[in-house]
Amino acid sequence: MAAPQRRTDIGPPHFKEFLPPVIQKNYGDWKHHEVLSGGVMVHTANSGDKLWSVRVASPRLLSTDTIRDYAAMAEKYCGGYIRFTTRNNVEFLVSDEKNLEPLQKELNSKKYMMGGIGPRISNIVHTQGWIHCHSAASDASGIVKVLMDEFADYFTTKETPNKVRLAVACCVNMCGAVHCSDIAVVAIHRKVPTIDHDKVKNMCEIPSTIAACPTGAISPEPSKKSVKINADKCMYCGNCFTVCPPIEIHDPEYDGVAIVVGGKVGNLRSNPKFSKLAIPFIKNNPPRWPEVTAAVKKILDAYIAGAEKHERVGEWIERIGWEKFFKITGLPFTFQHIDDFVVARETFRTAATFKW
Amino acid sequence: MPKKYETPLLDELEKGPFPSFVTEIKKAAARSDMAADELGQLEKSYRDKRGYWKHGGIVGVRGYGSGVIGRYSSLADQFPDVANFHTVRINCTSGFFYTSKFLKEMCDIWDKYGSGLTNLHGSTGDLVLLGTNTENLEPIFAEFSSRGWDLGGSGSALRTPSCCVGPARCEWSNIDTLGITYSVTQEFQDEMHRPAFPYKFKIKTAGCAVDCIASIARADLSIIGTWKGKIAVDQGEVANYAKKGMKIQEEIVNKCPSKCMSYDGKELKIDDDNCVRCMHCIAKMTKALKPTGEKGATILMGSKAPFVIGATLSWVIVPFMKLEEPYDELKDLIRKMWEFWDEHGKNRERIGELVIRKGMREFLEFIGIDPVPQQVKEPRRDPFFFWTEADLQK
Amino acid sequence: MEKAEVAQKIYELVEKSTGKKKLKSSDIQKTISADLNITRDDVKAALKDLVDEGKLIYTYFGGSFVEIPPK
Repeated sequence: MAAPQRRTDIGPPHFKEFLPPVIQKNYGDWKHHEVLSGGVMVHTANSGDKLWSVRVASPRLLSTDTIRDYAAMAEKYCGGYIRFTTRNNVEFLVSDEKNLEPLQKELNSKKYMMGGIGPRISNIVHTQGWIHCHSAASDASGIVKVLMDEFADYFTTKETPNKVRLAVACCVNMCGAVHCSDIAVVAIHRKVPTIDHDKVKNMCEIPSTIAACPTGAISPEPSKKSVKINADKCMYCGNCFTVCPPIEIHDPEYDGVAIVVGGKVGNLRSNPKFSKLAIPFIKNNPPRWPEVTAAVKKILDAYIAGAEKHERVGEWIERIGWEKFFKITGLPFTFQHIDDFVVARETFRTAATFKW
Repeated sequence: MPKKYETPLLDELEKGPFPSFVTEIKKAAARSDMAADELGQLEKSYRDKRGYWKHGGIVGVRGYGSGVIGRYSSLADQFPDVANFHTVRINCTSGFFYTSKFLKEMCDIWDKYGSGLTNLHGSTGDLVLLGTNTENLEPIFAEFSSRGWDLGGSGSALRTPSCCVGPARCEWSNIDTLGITYSVTQEFQDEMHRPAFPYKFKIKTAGCAVDCIASIARADLSIIGTWKGKIAVDQGEVANYAKKGMKIQEEIVNKCPSKCMSYDGKELKIDDDNCVRCMHCIAKMTKALKPTGEKGATILMGSKAPFVIGATLSWVIVPFMKLEEPYDELKDLIRKMWEFWDEHGKNRERIGELVIRKGMREFLEFIGIDPVPQQVKEPRRDPFFFWTEADLQK
Repeated sequence: MEKAEVAQKIYELVEKSTGKKKLKSSDIQKTISADLNITRDDVKAALKDLVDEGKLIYTYFGGSFVEIPPK
């Protein structure tokens, strides 16, 4: 059979083709919604029509087998309509209330996890890691799996003071929103890269390699038609490796993860915030990274115990003060915690007011 | 019968209640040698604590310079079926809505031509087909494009625009996030498929300041819905929330960032003139509070992850823009921004980094936007400011 | 100027830079439009033809470039 005729620059199909009839009818005319349980919410339109959404966790990495199973359930209970959330959850869109129970029953029997709605831990935004990324300093899917195993109850039923948004990035490039998450794991390198000069000569453009360095640590090495790295200036970001792979940054012995906390993207109550460093380094310990899980649990537990209702992690920490955060959690404060990059002086304490 | 690898380390990640990505890879590996070698190589990564992928090179199908991410195993001798194992990005629908019919067709195509592994979705929002070899790229593109689907963006191009669920299923949306995303995507197909920018450019559209698409943190152009008008209060519904146990003073009034609310136990009052539209009260009392008046969006620019100058959040350039089809004002603004970037940007310099380097004045003058206090948290502190000849004549 | 002539100039520019400096699409547009005193859209159209025909390809290495395909 001949291959079908290719077309270019057509863009995606119009989204209206994929909206269930109840949404087409009530588009832009929703009145309110209610969270019925960790995994179910109902939206009511001004017309009185209702739409139930059943949210289910996915590992984001999906086989076609599982997608076919989603499709089959969507056909059975949702007229074939299904959507995905920005945090990699699946949402079954139920317009007929009598399908709600049977759908949940089937999901339960197949061990799908319903949850992630309301003041809870939702699914973890993450990156490719060792599964498919060239610059990964750790795996992402593995860390996501062990964290979500640990906090499964907070996804399905138990509540937290407000939403807790977790993220995992497998290198400091941070595909995803690690830099603005409540608690996030970011993989880091800690050693100056090594240079294979012969390969640099053939593979890399010297000016763009030099420009890739945020700290100006890379300069030409004309005798070798290559570059050299000033070890005192290098902070191991690996940006040079992406531009010039013969500059090898991976180091299994010294690579690992850092934990950052207190970021948010929403504007509710307080402005969007960056995540800040809580733990500078935990070594890679696959397959289940128990030290990472324990560290995140320690921070989460302190937040749950200390935060007021509706406070996000960053809002809680700002209210009590970072010095108090380190005291409560018992996390050591180190030289790595004090900024020496571009916004350093904005972070120094310019007041005599602080807590003991 | 596909290959089989012993995976004692990865097997540990099939335990526990959360759905396992290892189980997913194994399902695909039961049918596909590519997925089997992916699994084998991943086990080795877990053993050696390092990745084994190389990047670069191939970027698209004939005529395109984006939509495909070249990936090559650095252990091709041991895992020949992932020697080249490229990602294909399919442009998602606005709001990530699908039908079972499409999903099944996608699975059929992908089982025929690829590993059977996907990401729903990638970080930018594409429907990611994870892993196929070079000769399958053209057939995959023909299969999808003949059915009305196109590739997403990658490289120094406009990346696949994405948005929150918006008016499709949210009472808070001030703008048609899905319509804007679709319209902008269709308008700029060339910029998406034939990379001509200094670096990537992301557009994300959120219906309100809750920002469920994280536009303020990860988009070169962040469009965030807002309004100019009062918040209508349904006092009956306020009473219902109180009756159901909501501590309105503590949970709502005290949490208001601009302290523009008061509650005497009966009536909730809002001083709309001082409201900053943060969405807290509306999100918590959705049945009682509704924005009214003119709807539109705040346009911000420049957010990105840490490379190269540290992470940035987007900052306001246009405090309020009406957004109605065909969105010409928005599209003109985007074109002007690209023109500025094209003229001054260096390779791998994001537009936000460029504006920080050149200064907001030069940028705002170029795109024709006046300075207003809404663009800054506070005026400058230092006395080192520039005067142009024209300024001196004023 | 004929589109084919513009395409020829683009190809020569890319050929000349090969091994020295990787060119971005915008580099090509700026250089050729200035050299031939034509609009950037004209250059873009000619470049599109070259890529559609497979005479030039886009590549990626920490940025997108236009290059001559490997033999």
